[in-house]
Amino acid sequence: MKLAIKALLFNFCLWWAAMPSLEAADKSFQSVEITIKTISASKQGNEFDPQLAALEKQLKALNYGSYRLLKQETQTARWQGNANFQIPGGRMLTVRPQEVNNDQLGLRVQLKQGDKPQLETTVRLNNRGNFILGGPRHDNGVLVLSISATAR
Amino acid sequence: MSTCEVIRESLGAWLDGELSGAAADTVRSHLQTCLACGQERRQLEKLDITLKSVLEAQTIPFHAESIWHALRQRIETKRPWYVEVAAWTGPVLRSPSFAWGVPAVIVLLLGTIYLDSILPGWNSGSPRDNFAAVESIDAYGRNVALLREYETKTTVIWLYQNPDSESEASGETSNKGPAF
Repeated sequence: MKLAIKALLFNFCLWWAAMPSLEAADKSFQSVEITIKTISASKQGNEFDPQLAALEKQLKALNYGSYRLLKQETQTARWQGNANFQIPGGRMLTVRPQEVNNDQLGLRVQLKQGDKPQLETTVRLNNRGNFILGGPRHDNGVLVLSISATAR
Repeated sequence: MSTCEVIRESLGAWLDGELSGAAADTVRSHLQTCLACGQERRQLEKLDITLKSVLEAQTIPFHAESIWHALRQRIETKRPWYVEVAAWTGPVLRSPSFAWGVPAVIVLLLGTIYLDSILPGWNSGSPRDNFAAVESIDAYGRNVALLREYETKTTVIWLYQNPDSESEASGETSNKGPAF
């Protein structure tokens, strides 16, 4: 019984000691590293760019024939700051990290072609997770953007 | 020792019927002639009556029927779920190994959290819920689809483009919808 009480006290001390670290895990992120992979997907051909190996399963679910990495760019943005990415076809992708909560990042994403806004969305994704934005036409296929974010 | 003293010593045994025929006759004949021993006999008899009445008053009557009824009722009555749970979990929760198991789990969880911050992506080999929650979409009049690909747990936002309003050449996917 004495051993159980000791263990209980130890648990309490351990939890008490860990609390600041757990709280800090959410609050200590100063910025967000955003990576955009711009991929050209086409029904023609059957080639898969080896540089896209990490995204193979995600991309092949889109049912295109060939996938080619056109550009990969990483930028670091502060909270409420914009990160602008040039996308082929005169497009601009702007990503604004808004908040982090429970290891999930809130991102405001805007896609423009020239001055014309094409899409604006707010997403919440897991830290170090990604989502796909696709559809804009490019050459004989479409553009597929893999947008990933990591809080730092 | 006088005759009276001898008789008084065996008076108790005589009253309890423990004396043999000759000894009992001796006591009986002495009591008929000796007033002092007769007085002693009466006192002993009174004491005996008093003790018996006290003992009878303190004896609890044994009612086997009512006890059996209560016992059967207790066996047949279903205990509440929380009593059952407490009966099952009590010994486990009280065991020292369980008490030390809890801090072990906490240490393991904290270790996972710290490992994740030190080595991001260390567990990337394991399937992870990668779904992004889309809180709002504005495609400025264009059609847009929000899809969830369950095999890879990926959120896909697909923008349908109007071939008339776009500057780039129309491809095979123009306004036909996503290819998946």
